[in-house]
Amino acid sequence: VMLPRLLAVVRGPGSCRGWREGSPARGSASATVAPPVALPAQAQVVVCGGGIMGTSVAYHLSKMGWKDVVLLEQGRLAAGSTRFCAGILSTARHLAIEQKMADYSNKLYHQLEQETGIQTGYTRTGSIFLAQTQDRLISLKRINSRLNVIGIPCEIISPKKVAELHPLLNVHDLVGAMHVPEDAVVSSADVALALASAASQSGVQIYDRTSILHVMVKKGQVAGVETDKGQIQCQYFVNCAGQWAYELGLCSEEPVSIPLHACEHFYLLTRPWETPLPSSTPTVVDADGRIYIRNWQGGILSGGFEKNPKPIFTEGKNQLEIQNLQEDWDHFEPLLSSLLRRMPQLETLEIVKLVNCPETFTPDMRCIMGESPSVRGYFVLVGMNSAGLSFGGGAGKYLAEWMVYGYPSENVWELDLKRFGALQSSRTFLRHRVMEVMPLLYDLKVPRWDFQTGRQLRTSPLYDRLDAQGARWMEKHGFERPKYFIPPDKDLLALEQSKTFYKPDWFEIVESEVKCCKEAVCVIDMSSFTKFEITSTGDQALEILQYLFSNDLDVPVGHIVHTGMLNERGGYENDCSIARLSKRSFFMISPTDQQVHCWAWLKKYMPEDSNLILEDVTWKYTALNLIGPRAVDVLSELSYAPMTPDHFPSLFCKEMSVGYANGIRVMSMTHTGEPGFMLYIPIEYALHVYNEVMSVGQKYGIRNAGYYALRSLRIEKFFAFWGQDLNTLTTPLECGGESRVKLDKGVDFIGRDALLQQRQNGVYKRLTMFILDDHDTDLDLWPWWGEPIYRNGRYVGKTTSSAYGYTLERHVCLGFVHNFSEDTGEEQVVTADFINRGEYEIDIAGHRFQAKAKLYPVPSLLTHKRRKEDVELSDLHGK
Amino acid sequence: MDGPVPGRASAGVWAPAASSCSSAAPEGRMCVCPGPRRIGIPVRSSSLPLFSDAMPAPTQLFFPLIRNCELSRIYGTACYCHHKHLCCSPPYIPQSRPRYTPHPAYATFYRPKESWWQYTQGRRYASTPQKFYLTPPQVNSILKANEYSFKVPEFDGKNVSSVLGFDSNQLPANAPIEDRRSAATCLQTRGMLLGVFDGHAGCACSQAVSERLFYYIAVSLLPHETLLEIENAVESGRALLPILQWHKHPNDYFSKEASKLYFNSLRTYWQELIDLNTGESTDIDVKEALINAFKRLDNDISLEAQVGDPNSFLNYLVLRVAFSGATACVAHVDGVDLHVANTGDSRAMLGVQEEDGSWSAVTLSNDHNAQNEREVERLKLEHPKNEAKSVVKQDRLLGLLMPFRAFGDVKFKWSIDLQKRVIESGPDQLNDNEYTKFIPPNYYTPPYLTAEPEVTYHRLRPQDKFLVLATDGLWETMHRQDVVRIVGEYLTGMHHQQPIAVGGYKVTLGQMHGLLTERRAKMSSVFEDQNAATHLIRHAVGNNEFGAVDHERLSKMLSLPEELARMYRDDITIIVVQFNSHVVGAYQNQEQ
Repeated sequence: VMLPRLLAVVRGPGSCRGWREGSPARGSASATVAPPVALPAQAQVVVCGGGIMGTSVAYHLSKMGWKDVVLLEQGRLAAGSTRFCAGILSTARHLAIEQKMADYSNKLYHQLEQETGIQTGYTRTGSIFLAQTQDRLISLKRINSRLNVIGIPCEIISPKKVAELHPLLNVHDLVGAMHVPEDAVVSSADVALALASAASQSGVQIYDRTSILHVMVKKGQVAGVETDKGQIQCQYFVNCAGQWAYELGLCSEEPVSIPLHACEHFYLLTRPWETPLPSSTPTVVDADGRIYIRNWQGGILSGGFEKNPKPIFTEGKNQLEIQNLQEDWDHFEPLLSSLLRRMPQLETLEIVKLVNCPETFTPDMRCIMGESPSVRGYFVLVGMNSAGLSFGGGAGKYLAEWMVYGYPSENVWELDLKRFGALQSSRTFLRHRVMEVMPLLYDLKVPRWDFQTGRQLRTSPLYDRLDAQGARWMEKHGFERPKYFIPPDKDLLALEQSKTFYKPDWFEIVESEVKCCKEAVCVIDMSSFTKFEITSTGDQALEILQYLFSNDLDVPVGHIVHTGMLNERGGYENDCSIARLSKRSFFMISPTDQQVHCWAWLKKYMPEDSNLILEDVTWKYTALNLIGPRAVDVLSELSYAPMTPDHFPSLFCKEMSVGYANGIRVMSMTHTGEPGFMLYIPIEYALHVYNEVMSVGQKYGIRNAGYYALRSLRIEKFFAFWGQDLNTLTTPLECGGESRVKLDKGVDFIGRDALLQQRQNGVYKRLTMFILDDHDTDLDLWPWWGEPIYRNGRYVGKTTSSAYGYTLERHVCLGFVHNFSEDTGEEQVVTADFINRGEYEIDIAGHRFQAKAKLYPVPSLLTHKRRKEDVELSDLHGK
Repeated sequence: MDGPVPGRASAGVWAPAASSCSSAAPEGRMCVCPGPRRIGIPVRSSSLPLFSDAMPAPTQLFFPLIRNCELSRIYGTACYCHHKHLCCSPPYIPQSRPRYTPHPAYATFYRPKESWWQYTQGRRYASTPQKFYLTPPQVNSILKANEYSFKVPEFDGKNVSSVLGFDSNQLPANAPIEDRRSAATCLQTRGMLLGVFDGHAGCACSQAVSERLFYYIAVSLLPHETLLEIENAVESGRALLPILQWHKHPNDYFSKEASKLYFNSLRTYWQELIDLNTGESTDIDVKEALINAFKRLDNDISLEAQVGDPNSFLNYLVLRVAFSGATACVAHVDGVDLHVANTGDSRAMLGVQEEDGSWSAVTLSNDHNAQNEREVERLKLEHPKNEAKSVVKQDRLLGLLMPFRAFGDVKFKWSIDLQKRVIESGPDQLNDNEYTKFIPPNYYTPPYLTAEPEVTYHRLRPQDKFLVLATDGLWETMHRQDVVRIVGEYLTGMHHQQPIAVGGYKVTLGQMHGLLTERRAKMSSVFEDQNAATHLIRHAVGNNEFGAVDHERLSKMLSLPEELARMYRDDITIIVVQFNSHVVGAYQNQEQ
């Protein structure tokens, strides 16, 4: 029905580009002729937003066979950021999932004109990423080696080669560059129109000038939408409203918090060069100069991401489409200077205009997709951080898969809406954070950087105490966590400059913390961990947990069980520790960023039963991790209770008194494989217990430690961590977690069938521990994550996390090894034999280091020896 | 008479440095200051004894001194600063004489500028080597030492006050500084009060006025019921309604000792207001309230000095307050109603942004000095014809005082009898003081001086962007137009420059780049300061002949030893109040 109207929209400007003065007329022509059309009373899916995201979702849904889709646009199609987009499609991204999305988008747009007959202006120009510094070149090399292994051609080139590719560039200050020949430029507005047209042809109904006023929710499930033109009943709703998504999220019975904020973004358009630049002129990204430059109708289009961005629309929406925003030349001046430094000959080029097109940014520079944790059927795809065109195709595909099949074909946890909670939705927080995020797009991304804005939101009661003792902080899910503690004699200034791809300056500090964990005792504040309590009047709690978790939870009271929370495919939705507090109550500890995701998952499966109570007690407890052989001494002295393994075996939980405080949950586990205890302390006792532990611990050599030490300890012991090593696509069998699965516990659980199947068929990838052999810690680049792994010279997978193992005195990387068929590239079964019989190399920024592969943690001789000494020493204390 | 510990302790701490200072100083050469003093009497001799004697001065009184000491330490003139007040000066007091009086001793003490220079040069060599060039950070730390900013808090993201906030700052030339500033929000009525006070013959009067005047104004503005409520609360010992919310820099202190005395005077005032209330008009006229408050406070200052206080410290304090003087320029902002009450030669200047973005100045106060013909006329009319020549002489009141209206200065208000009586019965320090004993010449028909303010009303318009209140230290170095332009450009940052739009013109990237670089350079000086008042002082002190801040000049001016500083500039105190054009506009629309 909608097709003729839509085509009218599309035909209007012909080969028009979005920025042309004439373009606003494009939609109005169709509007005047369009008769008022009645909306359908119901549909399976309502997509809100006619930009590239909304049209891409609709397109992919229709491709996957969901035809009963309605797309609503408040203004005209392709009118928001999509219309103003600079039209650069670039696959050089930092995250693997982003690279895959961009790669898919590139392929999709390439054939779109052929498929739909609509001109999209797709031109394969290639792009050049310039490096003015060695560090930038390292960053590019890392991207380069990762792009190559997923089949995107790409190479590191010399400045001389850069000059050949783009004669106007000044290359004197360059140290190198990366060339991605298959990157393209394309008109994003026309891409959106083409996607809409194709979707429309397969049955998607598209209505413009229709605003959604309200999303109706019934029993936690999307029921329909209310528009200014009437209601539509639907089961699924997709929020692709771009800059308006935050507010649309709130226009619902059950508000969906979508943390994003817009910033003004400027780019410049010029008249053609005397001899117009050929359309194949490559796009240039000069991140050190904070600018991008592409060919535009024989002239250039150049914009950038300045250091001092201008956030906009904090108070909310004020127009349906983005128009008539002020050009701010003074603000653009640094970028213009940078442009003229890069291309001095442009001085004589005449200006057409400075375009101001707001872009949305998210708190962590990653886009937002997925289902709302509070409303089933409410999907979101927004917050593109200026890369909407590059991600559009791929992101739309993954979201469509998610809706149709229940999960996307790739791990998208890094982009999942559920990584955020309501706590990231403060307007002030977002305004401040995006001002940091936008410049970060072109800042050097070094390992372990932390955001500086929007900090100190959630803190432990010990924050001030630890801070005064030299703690340096990182943030996770809004929670401040200590990284390490600067000893009083260290030079503070030197330490702030730890941004490097090489050995960081905190190396010795963390080393001494690790050593203390191994030989004496350390205390780490781990209060950020997500803590849930599940209680019931009868056996309901046990029953539901047995169904949701793979390990057997019907253990005696006081026992702790490490277990995965699996999905139907056997993949980890969460990896947690559960203590059985009593017959009918359980205490569950999950990673910090699981707070929203795990809650939503449990809520989804838990029956509506007033006798079964799930409570988030994260804020009620301060968690102290006492790691080290001496932890037992400290604790027994504080509690007058024997803490030896006979009385307090490993993985055991007991409520006891510590100091004056009673009711402290003491658990004999440390999340690192080291001996020690976790103390879960009701927050009002936190300071007391901490003070007691520190003062009693003094004679045992106690000290504070941070997460860097913890990380080193756990990776050395081959402890995989959810969110980094484990995700929804990895099963326990693929990462040595067989012991955490009880397939024959007598009760069915989610994922059991998949695991049984997998046990029969074998696994197609295997988490492996790599110990770098010929890596010089002082001189070589450090591994981070995402480094390609080569087996016998062939690519087999990527690392997921890494750390320096202070006991092994080697770098340790964890990563998945696949077995790609040499002929077809198909994935084959990975056996222990396959892992053990290979010669491995890890590629760090183009340099390959030999690595030893291990499927089980390495017992360290060094620690063993030290333990022996410990025993002798402790005898001297004569307990 | 032995002073209590605080005064002693302070003196003791400084004693060693002071002795070195006195040894470095040539004999008897540091009494008379030929600089542009506002009162033609050598102030050093009048104000110094107040501090030099072992008076029971609370440490609080020494705050400004300490501050100055710290300041001077920055540029290495620590040994110069205040020690002379404590140790060096007493021997010279008997020799010092008022300037411009026909006293025979006068000629021997007056020295032309040149010799001053020689003297200082000599002294400079005698003392430790001085570093007279300040680095930019040093300059900034001096300029910013007293800066203060207040933003009217926003509620729910909205600021409904017509005042966005204010910036204030002061730069001392006297040691201690004699200027004061105050800012407060009226809590029982709407509106905000801001004022600058320029003291002379010491800082006692300006200090007292700065802590008391706003209470008098606030009380004058209070409706009858509120006054009753407060009085009843006092009577029954209940908690009082707060009247003012002060916005103070840590250096802006209040006298704890006199607090009770001041309160009692204030209470008498409101009791009288309660008694006077006829119950007819409930409308309180701001103009009248301001005039009443000014006059009443001056009256109270005068009365307190006449009555005295059994506490010897307080007794001395009230006398010092009465015998020193202060001008006052106070603004009351309530919605779109702006009242300026001025007594003396400080000034209130409104910054108006024209439609084309340029700035113009609207003066909201008249200076009360010899340059104001109406004031000269007034004085002549108030006194017999035969005094016409003597009442204003050499552009000064009775040939002595520059401002024609002021608080305190009972020397120009009381009869000769009264003056003599009070001085005789007063403490010895007062008696030893040449200045207080000295009676102005041609003193026939007092009072010659009043504290009654001239009140100007202005209805704020959206184009009225800010108000500058400043003591004459600013106005004598800068033209009002420049003041308004500099503040305006500062407050609007880049925006005062018309945004550039290419629209239709042929502009190349190179041309645009040149233009932008130029605009940027122009703006860079603005970003150094976070405070409009600081920015203004930077210009006032450091401007070269081209109207641009010259760091070298700024550094020289700020590193002057204190004796010299007063010759090149006066104390400068500035408050810049920024108005909320949206709110002002909304008011306007409401009423249309």
